[in-house]
Amino acid sequence: MAEGHPYRNKDGVDISLVAAFLRLTPEERLVTNDNAVKAILELRDAFQQQKDDKRRSQQNP
Amino acid sequence: MHSSSKRTTSGDLSKILEALLEADIQFILVGGLASVVQGAPITTMDVDIIIRPSSENIGKLMSFLKETDAIYRRPNGKTIAPIAEDFSGTGHILLSTRLGSLDVLGSIEEKKTFEDLLDHSVEISFRGHTLRALDLKHLIRLKKESKDINDRQRLAVLEETLRQLKEKG
Repeated sequence: MAEGHPYRNKDGVDISLVAAFLRLTPEERLVTNDNAVKAILELRDAFQQQKDDKRRSQQNP
Repeated sequence: MHSSSKRTTSGDLSKILEALLEADIQFILVGGLASVVQGAPITTMDVDIIIRPSSENIGKLMSFLKETDAIYRRPNGKTIAPIAEDFSGTGHILLSTRLGSLDVLGSIEEKKTFEDLLDHSVEISFRGHTLRALDLKHLIRLKKESKDINDRQRLAVLEETLRQLKEKG
């Protein structure tokens, strides 16, 4: 994925992402992190729910 | 008390910070969120703080923890609430609150305490309060010494953030 990326530094860090994040206020950065956390937790719950549903349907076909 | 399913979907880390400040608890934000607030584009799932271990401050913290239904975060899911004595040492207290995960640290690498880190912290205006966070230079130094693989992976992002901050002046 890194191949051909125009804005990576020598360590593979996307410097455009760092620059964009630095343009936000501290509060905006915290809210961005909160939104990411919420999305991750929702996806994790959805994945777990799907696994549980599948297990139940296999036990009670 | 909130159900465990409700806890898994709570990730309002800003609200934890705001509530800690409103409760007038003296702390320094460390870890991933301290890096986020200073401009590092990373995602972190918990709030890490190091507190001033005075009895008055621990009393305020205990009230906050009670209000947020804090319990120990344990792999076996056993429900144990923290007590004031837990916060008098230099250990790490890993908690789950109804707002999200909160780690209260008595010290960090090299046994550094709140008092040791005060001179290496920055003040940030946040929702009408002053939030104190460990500065980026010091966070990088700690991550370099860390054995945690997540810390090592984030190091390059933090170094690039500091480089751009310096460039900006």
